[in-house]
Amino acid sequence: MRSNDEFSCADASDLLEAYLDGDLPPEEADLLREHLGSCAACAAERALAERIQRELRSLPQPDCPPEVIERVVRAGRGEIVPFPSKDRASRPRIAAAAAVLALAVGGGSLFVHFQQQHLQQQRERQVAQATQEARFALAYLGRATHKVGLDVRDEVLQKRLVIPTTRSVSRSLSDLPDEPRKEF
Amino acid sequence: MRKPIVLLTALLFLAAAGARAQKLESQPGYVPIEELGLFPADKLSVEINIDGPLLRMVAAATKREDPGFSAVLAGLKSIKVQVFPLKGVDADVIKTKIGRSAHWLEDRGWVSMLKVRDQGKETFIYLKQAGDRIDGLTLLSFNPEEEAVVINIVGRIDPAQIGRIGQRLNLPQLKKIPATRKPE
Repeated sequence: MRSNDEFSCADASDLLEAYLDGDLPPEEADLLREHLGSCAACAAERALAERIQRELRSLPQPDCPPEVIERVVRAGRGEIVPFPSKDRASRPRIAAAAAVLALAVGGGSLFVHFQQQHLQQQRERQVAQATQEARFALAYLGRATHKVGLDVRDEVLQKRLVIPTTRSVSRSLSDLPDEPRKEF
Repeated sequence: MRKPIVLLTALLFLAAAGARAQKLESQPGYVPIEELGLFPADKLSVEINIDGPLLRMVAAATKREDPGFSAVLAGLKSIKVQVFPLKGVDADVIKTKIGRSAHWLEDRGWVSMLKVRDQGKETFIYLKQAGDRIDGLTLLSFNPEEEAVVINIVGRIDPAQIGRIGQRLNLPQLKKIPATRKPE
């Protein structure tokens, strides 16, 4: 056991915190009290420590969140408690935003897909109709040239071949002396 | 920022459309049928206007099923057809216009390939030639009991091939086509 003569300011500083908390054994508390009564510097130190302790206690005490209490209780029971995400509260908002984004992207893709499909169908219809129209134009040209060609052929055959041949044959026949004249 | 983009797009679109129109009109085989004022536009029974991109699409679409037809179309830049029914119409006015159009073509270097006048019916086929190459074909047809027709085909033309292809196409079936697309 130390006597008051051996008790220094360094000893006082070491024990001061425990003394203020009331955790010091009575003999050491007596020695410290005796030193503080005779040492102005350590007494001032004690006053400062007491003030800090007082002011700390006057600060508002936040309530412990129930989930923390629950975690502590469950951990005390030996259960494994997963650590919750810090942004748990913002999860629904992120999920909603993701859903909206997914809908927008999905909707956009669907719209583009249907739009492309519609355009493709429209183009196919346009090509089918243009094919019919082109066939019509060529068919009309074909008919006109064919008909005109036949007319020309008939005319040429009639005027240049059939009629002259008929006349020639008629003439030849009329030149025969004993046969009666035949006209074609 | 959005306004200049819209303006720029519109300008580019107009420039492209203008360039395309300019391109077709500058073709030697092109005939401005609308400017000739042959038939009243609202009384046509058939009106066909197919130009380059659509013709190429039709040529590609029919390549396997009808290679001959596809080959004819692949060389073409434009097909225009106007069919005007003459029932209940002063046919002489149309006949005069057809004659005037034939002169218009001759004045501009078109060469008459076929001219047939028979029992009030008239069929003229003109070709626009550049050396051995044929750049355009125009048919003017007038049948007072049925209809008047004008066809202008622009592009690389082989009249014999067109005639061959056209003659095997079934015109009455294709005649069901209504007047659909207006000139662009």
